[in-house]
Amino acid sequence: MMNYVIAGASAAGLACAEQIRKEDKDGRIILLTKEEYLPYSRPSISYYLKGKVTEKDMCLRKPSYYKSIGIEIVTGAEVTAIDRKKKTVRAGRKTYHYDKLCLCTGSKPFVPPMKNTEGKENALTFLDLASTKELKKKANKDTRAVVIGAGLIGMKAAEGLSKICKSVDVAELSERVLPSILDAKSSKSVKSYIETEGHINFHLGDTVTEAKSTGNRITSVVLKSGKELPCDLLVLAVGVRPETSLAEKAGIEVNRGIITDPGTMQTSDSDIYAAGDCAVSVDMLDGSKKIIALWVNAVRQGKAAGSQMAGGEGVTGGTFAVNAIDFYGMRICTCGLINAAGEKYSDRVIQQGDSYKRLIFEENRLVGFVLINASENAGIYTNLIENKTDVTALHGDILGTPSLMWFDKETRKSRLKGESA
Amino acid sequence: MKKVYAKEELCLNCRLCEVYCKTAHSQSKDIIKANKFESPEPVSRVTVCGDKMLSAAVNCRHCDSPKCVEACITGAMQKDKKTGIVWVDEDKCIGCMTCLAVCPFGCIKTGKFAVKCDLCRTEDEPACVKNCPNRALVYADLGGGE
Repeated sequence: MMNYVIAGASAAGLACAEQIRKEDKDGRIILLTKEEYLPYSRPSISYYLKGKVTEKDMCLRKPSYYKSIGIEIVTGAEVTAIDRKKKTVRAGRKTYHYDKLCLCTGSKPFVPPMKNTEGKENALTFLDLASTKELKKKANKDTRAVVIGAGLIGMKAAEGLSKICKSVDVAELSERVLPSILDAKSSKSVKSYIETEGHINFHLGDTVTEAKSTGNRITSVVLKSGKELPCDLLVLAVGVRPETSLAEKAGIEVNRGIITDPGTMQTSDSDIYAAGDCAVSVDMLDGSKKIIALWVNAVRQGKAAGSQMAGGEGVTGGTFAVNAIDFYGMRICTCGLINAAGEKYSDRVIQQGDSYKRLIFEENRLVGFVLINASENAGIYTNLIENKTDVTALHGDILGTPSLMWFDKETRKSRLKGESA
Repeated sequence: MKKVYAKEELCLNCRLCEVYCKTAHSQSKDIIKANKFESPEPVSRVTVCGDKMLSAAVNCRHCDSPKCVEACITGAMQKDKKTGIVWVDEDKCIGCMTCLAVCPFGCIKTGKFAVKCDLCRTEDEPACVKNCPNRALVYADLGGGE
């Protein structure tokens, strides 16, 4: 009987465990998480912060589920060492033997150097449920909050806090908001919408360099521009980095993230796999190596790793970025190479009222899109990207609402039958 | 499992399937109220694509390996092990619409939550099929026959 151990129990870790169980009915599956909670929806923490979901609704599966399919889940169990010779991992005082191991250790917050913020009681990160609970405890109607970073995490923290706090300021070193999912043009309109709807004050092209404090408590922050903002709560959301220290210590090949075979997710040790935010992905759209710290990617990689660990043939398929998110009712959906630059790329834009649609092409293929309040049937675009479809052969206006009728008769028939698209 | 299959050769683009789907998923269950007055406006899960020349009523395929379930960031989107129906747990759904971003058929609609076909779970036959006057929708096992 095989012994499977998985370190980390979010998107990738859970998908990995479930896939192993699908392909190996008997093996022992141990899922270790350093957190005190059963697997929950990390992206939901901002909804928890603003009170839209309860802790119970954040659980990805029912608590009884794990036992019912034979996944042994251990909370509060951070893997601190891997012994590759003995094939064991250490978590707390326990040692677990593995035949196949998967590292799904995710990301850690990146905190840039700032004077006088370390260890302060009102300087917090925003990445997991524990830090969100802390944030929720400290935020109230009199709080003047400052968020550093206008990426996905920072903006979601700002949105949640704006429903609770007296004021929210966001400082971002880059000249635009949400640079990872928005192009320059759309980020401008998103920024002004959020400013109006959320009463958030942006300080773009600027960042916090120093905090002033009384005792252990920050009272104000000083920006690079010299501005000083009163601050009762400082949220450090500059970005994340892959959590690779465990892999590095064990001598597994790491270059920014853990290096894996892009199809099988196998690392430089043939019995160890890695999936999710801690691993380097190869973007199928331009071949570039990057960290794609997004949910769908983590699940696909986890599944592929699980299948391979159980002796199956599952692989990741094409890897690319796809993300959907909303701010104050504004729906943003993006996919692929949204910041593609170079002669081989072209784009088409349509803007009407508060909706914006930008499609990015490489010759006759769609390679990316940015949709704001225009996401109807967006999955058809995603599918065109994934299948590298020649869009010149489609019947209909590609800037219109994606439709089954764009395709030829044979494709339509097979899709209406529900054959894989 | 039994699913709804659309036949483009028989579709007249009358959109009655949409009218009846909306009614079946309304609060009032009344065809007039649901389609003219109810607020929030009920959402049709089935969409007639195309024009008078060529059309088909596109509906969730309840895939074997659903991309929407794989992409769901909260565990709200699920495939029922027994019935095969892909459905949304509205208590868990936060309306992020990642499911919509990956559905290759364009079968997830935006509402307060992700909205999609549930095959009218509590009925014998889905409302769209029951009320299609020209048999362009059939409720059948694999493929729906020719």
